[in-house]
Amino acid sequence: MYKRNVRSGGALLWLFQRISGVYLAIVLFVHVILLHVMIDGDVNWGAVAERASSPMWKMINISFLVVALFHGLYGLWIVLDDYINAGWARILVFSLISVITLVFTIYGTITMLTLQVGG
Amino acid sequence: MKKLTFKINRYNPDDERRGHFMQEYEVEVPSGHTVLDCLNDIKWNQDGTLTFRRSCRSGICGSCAMTVNGVNMLACETQALALGTDTITVEPLRGCEVLKDLVVSLEPLVNGLYAVKPYLIADAPPPTDQERFQSVEERDKLDGLYECILCGACTSSCPSFWADKEYIGPHGLLKAYRFIADSRDTGEQEHMEALDDKHGLWRCHSIFNCVEACPKDLNPTRAIVELKKKLVKGKVG
Ligand code: FES
Repeated sequence: MYKRNVRSGGALLWLFQRISGVYLAIVLFVHVILLHVMIDGDVNWGAVAERASSPMWKMINISFLVVALFHGLYGLWIVLDDYINAGWARILVFSLISVITLVFTIYGTITMLTLQVGG
Repeated sequence: MKKLTFKINRYNPDDERRGHFMQEYEVEVPSGHTVLDCLNDIKWNQDGTLTFRRSCRSGICGSCAMTVNGVNMLACETQALALGTDTITVEPLRGCEVLKDLVVSLEPLVNGLYAVKPYLIADAPPPTDQERFQSVEERDKLDGLYECILCGACTSSCPSFWADKEYIGPHGLLKAYRFIADSRDTGEQEHMEALDDKHGLWRCHSIFNCVEACPKDLNPTRAIVELKKKLVKGKVG
């Protein structure tokens, strides 16, 4: 007989994976248009940093960072989840992915917040 | 009439040392003969030890699902000459334990099916003088769902099932939706119980192998997406 063991509660995460996918597609499109199509001259550090130092772009970049990290690393977990069945291994891998997400989110956010041109 | 070579993946549990091996048979195939007819021809006239499941020979019982030229199909619904190859490779369904030759154990599939309570659940007994009423429109909603004969072609083609033998599988999820979509059924909660689970809905990554494999042209992936939406709506309100 069938026995259920691991409650996944995957419904909301599944939904957010879809929403974040759409968000990423839009932001990436804007990114490509602004940075690679509409730009005059070279794409260099100065040009990027100048734009990224405005508060609005800081917000957009941070949201992009958070959403991209979630989308990518949760996606990785979904794939691994197909193959990892032992309870301890699931906890280990899930914790590892969570820690990586957290560290990169904090590191990236600090980088964005403290970015100043010519400072 | 055309001579075809059948390359059949064979396995005899009483001869473990030999393991799985391919054996070739030449068959004179009259036009209109199905793959099952050819297998019968081999079994009756060439090699009585060849083992495979079949019963209805008319696409109803679901016994004869196998992998022919790399694609899952019903042997009794597939004309051998229509495949268009001189050599026809026949293998047992993938991802399932082979019991003998083309016969596989369907136990994981049966377990997946039981998990969704694949029967009509109603809170009131049927009227004594007539059947449970269902309007024509309500009945139409079951088209594309009720036709499943549980042959296992879909689930044995699903990479998620290959990786996780406890995955309910497209056949089970399609069956769950078949009852949830039925106007006479009031047991949605009971059918859904096993779905929000590691071995449930979330193992489906919309790979669509099941859609290509289904010999009845059903669409289990669509049923799975409907179930996912139902579950999410239940959570979001
Ligand atoms: S023998 Fe019944 S479906 Fe093929």
